[in-house]
Amino acid sequence: MEIGPIWRALMRNKTAYVLIALQIAVTMAIMVNAVAIIEERNRIMARPSGVDEPNVFHIESISFAPGFDQAASVAEDLEAIRALPGVVDAIASNTVPLRNGGWSSGVATEPGEDVGPTGVAIYFTDDHGIATFGLDLIAGENFAATDIGWYGLSSERWPPLAILSREAATTLYPDVPLREIVGKTVYLNNTDAVRIIGIVERLQAAWKSWDGVERSMLVPAYLEGRATRYVVRTEPGYRDELMPQVEQKLAEMNDGRIVRDMLTMDATRERAYHEDAAMIKLLVFIVSLLTAITALGIVGLASFSVARRTRQIGTRRALGASRPAILRYFMLENFMVSSLGILAGGILAVAMNIWMVQTFELTPIAWYIIPVAMVVLWLVGQAAVYGPARRASMVPPAVATRSV
Amino acid sequence: MIRYYIKLGVLSIRKNPVLSALMVAAIAVGISACMTILNINYVMSGNPIPHRSDVLFHVQLDSWDPNQSAGDGGLSEPPNQVTYLDGTALLKARKARRQVLSYQSSRVVQPADRDLRPFEVNARSTTADFFPMFDVPFLYGRGWDQAADDSQEQVVVLGKEVNERLFGGEDSVGRTLVMNGEVFRIVGVLDDWYLVPRFYDVTTQAFNEVEELYFPFSVSVANEVNGSGNTNCWKPWGDTGWNAFLNSECVWMQMWVELHGQEEKQDYMAFLDAYVESQKAVGRFPRPLNNRLNNVMEWMADQEVVADDVQVLLGLAILFLIVCLLNTIGLLLAKIMRRSGDISLRRALGASRNAIFSQYIIEAGVIGLCGGILGIGFTWLGLRGIEVLYRQYEFVENLVRMDWVMVLAAVALAVVAALGAALYPTWRACRIHPAAQLKTL
Amino acid sequence: MLCMHDISKVYRTDSVETHALREFSLTVEEGEFVSVTGPSGSGKTTFLNIAGLLEEFSNGKYELDGKDVSRLNDRERSRVRNEKIGFIFQSFNLIPELDIYDNVDVPLRYRGMKAAERKQRIERVIEMVGLASRLHHLPSQLSGGQQQRVAIARALAGDPRFLLADEPTGNLDSAMAGSVMELLTEINNAGTTIIMVTHENTLARKASRNISVRDGRVNSSQAIRIAAATA
Repeated sequence: MEIGPIWRALMRNKTAYVLIALQIAVTMAIMVNAVAIIEERNRIMARPSGVDEPNVFHIESISFAPGFDQAASVAEDLEAIRALPGVVDAIASNTVPLRNGGWSSGVATEPGEDVGPTGVAIYFTDDHGIATFGLDLIAGENFAATDIGWYGLSSERWPPLAILSREAATTLYPDVPLREIVGKTVYLNNTDAVRIIGIVERLQAAWKSWDGVERSMLVPAYLEGRATRYVVRTEPGYRDELMPQVEQKLAEMNDGRIVRDMLTMDATRERAYHEDAAMIKLLVFIVSLLTAITALGIVGLASFSVARRTRQIGTRRALGASRPAILRYFMLENFMVSSLGILAGGILAVAMNIWMVQTFELTPIAWYIIPVAMVVLWLVGQAAVYGPARRASMVPPAVATRSV
Repeated sequence: MIRYYIKLGVLSIRKNPVLSALMVAAIAVGISACMTILNINYVMSGNPIPHRSDVLFHVQLDSWDPNQSAGDGGLSEPPNQVTYLDGTALLKARKARRQVLSYQSSRVVQPADRDLRPFEVNARSTTADFFPMFDVPFLYGRGWDQAADDSQEQVVVLGKEVNERLFGGEDSVGRTLVMNGEVFRIVGVLDDWYLVPRFYDVTTQAFNEVEELYFPFSVSVANEVNGSGNTNCWKPWGDTGWNAFLNSECVWMQMWVELHGQEEKQDYMAFLDAYVESQKAVGRFPRPLNNRLNNVMEWMADQEVVADDVQVLLGLAILFLIVCLLNTIGLLLAKIMRRSGDISLRRALGASRNAIFSQYIIEAGVIGLCGGILGIGFTWLGLRGIEVLYRQYEFVENLVRMDWVMVLAAVALAVVAALGAALYPTWRACRIHPAAQLKTL
Repeated sequence: MLCMHDISKVYRTDSVETHALREFSLTVEEGEFVSVTGPSGSGKTTFLNIAGLLEEFSNGKYELDGKDVSRLNDRERSRVRNEKIGFIFQSFNLIPELDIYDNVDVPLRYRGMKAAERKQRIERVIEMVGLASRLHHLPSQLSGGQQQRVAIARALAGDPRFLLADEPTGNLDSAMAGSVMELLTEINNAGTTIIMVTHENTLARKASRNISVRDGRVNSSQAIRIAAATA
């Protein structure tokens, strides 16, 4: 209703308002981009690993004694762990998802050197792998106990069977139905033929930031070497109780090795995404602090503006402005300044995002963040100006007749 | 006169305590947000070995697959480690003043005291030049010499902590240690050695601490000790066993050479190119010639050891400071405009423009100084916050140290920022006409 | 049309009670031009503030235009001020950021009038005070006399029942003061009731009746014949 005169009055004294608008604009740009980063991190952190995380833990055994019999040790260890009450199943593997350390290999649909291979994460396991990780077998079948061998530096060739994650299967064979992928042959090391016997819905690789994180392969073999990682799945509620038992049992069974680095999958996930979680907290803190500073700036300037215009407010009151009308005047004034800042901020935010996408390979902002940020900043502006505006509305009309 | 202006500034700050506190707080918060992130950036991009960083060169040979990229860099980037074949060939050639080939491994130490359980250590298999080249500080003894490398002597250098754990911190030189069932003779014990970043191997976590134990590369290879860092391969081995792995195209070790001056560097580069050409003749190195020599700081920049997150945060923190400054400009302007009566009175009483300028710029300086000092406190809090937030990473404590350079920088930045912010409002104050404000109000 | 009966106003601070008005009674008829004089501290400004509904009072009764306005709430008082009273202040109180047009527009905006009607009224009153050529000047670009004319135009724009003028010539030199007084007299002759507070006796005599205030009470009330004769 009074936009015209408020606008003209603003234009007569614009520097202070331009500063506030700029401040809002930069705040908006930071807010939008920070929220975009937060959203992306949240999305990444929410990806399931495919593993029954609440009930799985893992522990590493490292042998050091010369002449350590790894085959015997793995067989004994697995038998002992699987016999513990509360244990659903256990395997000896090389790593688990999200652990940020593991094995990857190139897999091709044809033999030979010229075929561009697809990288997949390798999980060495036996026929208990699917049950231990808690995977969902969506096509084909599991390994049989007789399929399981050993793989190491002395092996002539790669184990001949494999179970793929859905993503690995569909990357190798786009547009082929899953049921038909089962039975196909892929090649490792250019020449070693491997038959796909099954497909699981999901099993993430050990590296959360790898672009092939959803591509993985279960290999029916135990891995030769000093280090073996036992993965144990328990009945719900038994995990914490079983962990010290398993650790102690392994340590007692063989003194030619040490056991170390026992972690639940929950803790593994926490570690993997620690940096992202910390970044989210930092960004939330920065944005909150920034918004608070901007709000304080609005309060400060509005207070000054009210103090400077006390007489004018009194005059308006004398000329018939009611208290709500004065309140409305300052709220509206802030709304107009905020709108300018928000508009500029929207443009700045998009420009900044384009730059960040190019420099840091972030995903572009989702469109809805901008209107949400606009509304938030409008509300913050209105809330900030409410105090000074209310004080303005309390200026008594008699101020108008007070002599200078 | 300056004292008079400072007095006026302090009076004016005391007259509007809430507003002045707001300005000081805005500057302090902006400065500390900036300085916290800047400090981390500064430490991360710091020079780990300033007096030798220009003579130490990281070696890259492009032995990779012509059809696949070796890392994130695309086909034109060589792998960031070297193969065993190439590393040992360069080592044997001894064409640089010094050369070192090393890799990280994991070892189990078995204490002689049966009450102590065996424990795992992060070890580095390396050649003799490692210690003089990287200026490694010793508490007791010294590193081994090349003869020990050549004759595969079972010698070991312990980190300070391992020595503490095994020998209670005594001089253990000459004593023995059992590691993975083999007996090693201790020749040296390191003193505290902080290397931020750990430039000689950034393929694993660049900000992790240095290894806890060092032993000869030749011994390590003879004992078939795997690397615990990254092993990247592109070509099948052709055969089985440890020797097939050693002779493969897998890259898994780091090669550094010491070269003084441009000429030595050019000579060494020519040597590398000639070496690669000779290998091409026997069917290796399918890619075009693309060898690299980077000194320490070039290598840190090439490997982008400063995390993206830190750079994003730094950008945001700088914008944050800008917001805080806009805030300060606005508040100062409002303050000065409100006191225009006072200013024109002073002008009428004979104050020159310069005098008004000095008065307000000094007031801003006082505010900036207060903001800077408070900002140092906030920065300290910010760094503690970062430490808590990233507590999982052992290296974080290396990144949150604040040195006097940063303290001075914080105060200077605050004062400069406040003075910068004060320029426009002060200029406006100077333009207030002596009479204008006296007539009407 | 204005009738005050036994109005009292007491200002309280922590320790002191000041009786600004004591059982103040006054009646002003339609079309009158009343000047209010008195020494400083006599209560004339308090009277003006109460008459203009800028301040509330402690006791008594105040009827305006036949309606009791003693116990109105803030919103109702604002409305009465806007519709029935026109203010003219000693220091003009124009809004410095607004040009003349927008200044005169202020009370009309608060009345919620349509744009076309506002425009027509604003142009009429600015024409009337002889500033039609300065429509888009800022107050700071005008002389004191011109500023006060704008203030008068603003007071008249809403067609008030009466004008309250507080030392309207106090900040003007004598030539300008004369022309402003002439304008007020003209307005009064056209039928608008005017109450003017002043401490200058020469000005007070230009009204049709003079009220002298002392110690918060009406000290005397006398008709001024000379003024009536010139009318």
